[in-house]
Amino acid sequence: MKPPLKSRRPSPEDALAIASQAAPAQPPAQVVPAGRPDPRTTLNLRMRKSTVDALEAAAKTRGLTLKLVVTQALEAAGIQVAPPDLEDRTPKRRT
Amino acid sequence: MSVLVVASSKGGPGKTTICQIIASSVAGKLSLVVLDADPTQALTRWATNAYEGPPFETHAEADETRLAHLIAQKAEVADLVLIDTAGFGNRAATVAMTSADGVLVPSLAGEADVTEAEKTVKLVGALAQAARRDIPARVLLNRVRKTNLARHASKEITTAGLPRLEAALSDLVAFGEISYSGRAPDTGPASVETAALLEELRDLGWLPASRNDVQP
Repeated sequence: MKPPLKSRRPSPEDALAIASQAAPAQPPAQVVPAGRPDPRTTLNLRMRKSTVDALEAAAKTRGLTLKLVVTQALEAAGIQVAPPDLEDRTPKRRT
Repeated sequence: MSVLVVASSKGGPGKTTICQIIASSVAGKLSLVVLDADPTQALTRWATNAYEGPPFETHAEADETRLAHLIAQKAEVADLVLIDTAGFGNRAATVAMTSADGVLVPSLAGEADVTEAEKTVKLVGALAQAARRDIPARVLLNRVRKTNLARHASKEITTAGLPRLEAALSDLVAFGEISYSGRAPDTGPASVETAALLEELRDLGWLPASRNDVQP
């Protein structure tokens, strides 16, 4: 077994500077700061019935809501989804 | 002591699941701190609501400045600092990789996953160069099926010159169940694959074998 790596970790300040230098275009991980109001709104999408049927089938198979199937897929694709939108808030899940 | 970052610039290759597997397997055997740098906080929710094993410390922190300080602070006191990151290129993940002793890059077999794994490994290389320190990265093939696609992905990773682990995780229900059960697989193929993964991480020096192996 190789010995554990010696700690040559940069200081927090150096790590921030190095990351900024090597990848200057990276966005922050969290666009909406914690604690800042993030009000609810709606998104209505017009799409083919076959797509909606496929979504409903996936939701039924996985035991999820349509919204969760969509938000989980968005999150998996790298879209930043607010944590409350990834929670199943239906009454059956709260019991 | 050791900072292990699980990162990929693509969402969905199994970063959080791999963190769950590692955390639930080493908790109680090592002093473990888990940092959740993904704003979705999926790992934090799992640790709080589903996980049932020996306790470990968890912090949700997606702000890169606070994360950098948290890593430095926890690396001084824990045997292992395990960091989950968001599935897109972001500052918190970049800072975490800069501070890492090892970066695990999960990848599925699809072209997009392999491409993004390559980007992530290259970014780690750039960070290592800028930091003037060795930051090893390894691709971990996840949800592997015995298909031509998986074989092709493995070949593409090799052709691209990407360092990869010998260990791989198959597309097993037991790995998916961990997000609900909160327990590491302890029987069957999932248990065997988990053991092989941990063994290889120990061989790389990314995981201390036990508390006795931790250097002062």
